[in-house]
Amino acid sequence: MAKPELAPGEPPSALSAVEPPAPGAPLVVDFRRVTKTYAAGTLKAFTAIRDVTFAVEDKADIGEFIGILGPSGCGKSTVLRLIAGLAPQFPATSGEVLVHGRPVVEPGPDRGFVFQDYANFPNRTVLENVAFGLECRHVPEDERHAQAREWIAKVGLDPAKDAHKYPHQLSGGMNQRVAIARSLIMHPKIILMDEPFGALDPTTRHRMQDLLVSLWRELEATVFFVTHDVPEAVYLGDRIFLFSQSPGTIAHQFHVAPPDRPARDMQSEAHFLDSVREVRTVLDKLEVEEDARHAS
Amino acid sequence: MTSPDPLPRDPAPAAPLPAGSRGTAKPDVKRSSLTKWWRRALTIRDHPSWLEGALLALASILAVYFFWWFLTRPGHRIVDVYTLPSPGDTLASFRSLWFERELSISAVTSLARVLGGFLAAAAVAVPLGAIAGSFLRVNAFLKPVSVFGRNIPIAALIPLTLIWFGLGEIQKVMFIFLASVAFVLFDTTNAVLAVPGRYLDTSYTLGVRGTPKKGAILAALFSLVYGLVAAFGWHLLAENRSTLTAALSSSALWLRFLAGFLIGFVLWFPIHSHQALRKVLLPLALPDIFNSLRLIFGLAFGYIMLAEVINARHGLGALIIISQRQGPREHIYLCLIIISLLAWGIDRFLLYLHRHLFPYLKHG
Repeated sequence: MAKPELAPGEPPSALSAVEPPAPGAPLVVDFRRVTKTYAAGTLKAFTAIRDVTFAVEDKADIGEFIGILGPSGCGKSTVLRLIAGLAPQFPATSGEVLVHGRPVVEPGPDRGFVFQDYANFPNRTVLENVAFGLECRHVPEDERHAQAREWIAKVGLDPAKDAHKYPHQLSGGMNQRVAIARSLIMHPKIILMDEPFGALDPTTRHRMQDLLVSLWRELEATVFFVTHDVPEAVYLGDRIFLFSQSPGTIAHQFHVAPPDRPARDMQSEAHFLDSVREVRTVLDKLEVEEDARHAS
Repeated sequence: MTSPDPLPRDPAPAAPLPAGSRGTAKPDVKRSSLTKWWRRALTIRDHPSWLEGALLALASILAVYFFWWFLTRPGHRIVDVYTLPSPGDTLASFRSLWFERELSISAVTSLARVLGGFLAAAAVAVPLGAIAGSFLRVNAFLKPVSVFGRNIPIAALIPLTLIWFGLGEIQKVMFIFLASVAFVLFDTTNAVLAVPGRYLDTSYTLGVRGTPKKGAILAALFSLVYGLVAAFGWHLLAENRSTLTAALSSSALWLRFLAGFLIGFVLWFPIHSHQALRKVLLPLALPDIFNSLRLIFGLAFGYIMLAEVINARHGLGALIIISQRQGPREHIYLCLIIISLLAWGIDRFLLYLHRHLFPYLKHG
């Protein structure tokens, strides 16, 4: 069991307040007053995020799914890339980014990253793309290809038919499945997804959401999922961060009860829509405050 | 419509259009096929059919041939025979060009010279460009050399290479090397720089790492080839070359081997010891690199004629200069036609190779 199940009597997708983690509890990710300023000290200085503080508890065998919502350019991606250790967002200007209690030093396969534009290597077949991480680790070819086939099947592609295709022969949804398989084959403890379904049409998007929920059962990983789509965050998330704009910081957090139905059915339920509306109201309020601040 | 409409509207709705007509375009049933063809020909970016394209190309060749024939009509010559031989005479001189002037040997010689210098330039500049495109400080260091090398007038290198490398084959190969190396370096660097950063980010999060031990072994294997080529390639090209056994006991050959080996190692170790370079940046940049190599090879094939004008027994450039001095003049025109056909053929072949080497690219 990797995903928290719905408690009896609890309405699915209900929102509630977030309690801070118990002191001394092991943490997966710990942000302590993290600020990132580009071109500091010059006229072009720009602060992407300021004083972002949050902690995600490391619950044994349970991965938490964190949806990150907020207006464009509020530093959502900056948070992901700081966890991943990717330049130029990394390193932070001030504050501490701890993963499993240790400061992030460099990117690594323990923190998988899925980009919006898939970034599948065009010169590699699906099989070679999925096996890339194992290849870098010098896993023998037979073994890494066997594992890659397994993961190709897990993300809903046909190992016999699709394994030897090149990325340009696949649709957007299929490409994103390959990118997910390529990342998950490394069994990362943290998965960072930067608007992974942003470029997909609504039907494909729902199918990919279902896939993600079903893969959940065996992941036991913490996921950070940046999205523009409020229903997507409410459906997938156990917790939602709402970012306010420039400099970005976490304005609100919600706990969300887990979903109990496929994306398409769930996302037309009254309970679900109530939660979506509630999140939207808070987001709108943030934006109004933002505009007022700019006007003054 | 019952809602108030603030916009001014047409006083009367337009009469419904008769079926089958759109706007002002009339059905073109009555037009002749010639008028229709003419309309299409005047349409911007309207593609001709395959047959039309072929016929137009043929027409262009015939037009040039006719113009040439017209200038040199027997009995009504407009240009004298010394300046412009007639097309018939020119084509008829092919026999003597092939058998007496040994065209095939010259063509192969020219190609071999270009290939030698060009491959040497690629062997140095492609790995160097890959390093410069990955480590930007190396790029900053190499930039002045590359700017200088690309802006030098190529023809001005001929006297210098004559001083440095003498009158033999080494001069011709080294001339091509010097003429193309800066261009290959520049294009390769840019191709590697143009690989989108997201592939690099992805590979970092999938755990690419440094592999110095494996890199050293692979680089050593590559450098062995570099050393052997430097040692024996030079020996083969040298003018007054000694026997192989004598060469093997000479220290110059072993020095060249050592220099080649070292250069190869310095060029390939940084690439082989980084998975990000070996598995991501270089393979992703390779289609672009190959394409620019194809274009530079075309340039180099043109440059070789410059070098062959001086003290060459064979070569297409030498053929032209011999024909100019000793005649027949027809051979000059014939050589020009053959050179352009050869260059075109090589270009097509490389393009064909490009498609087969990189099947994953979308070829339009």
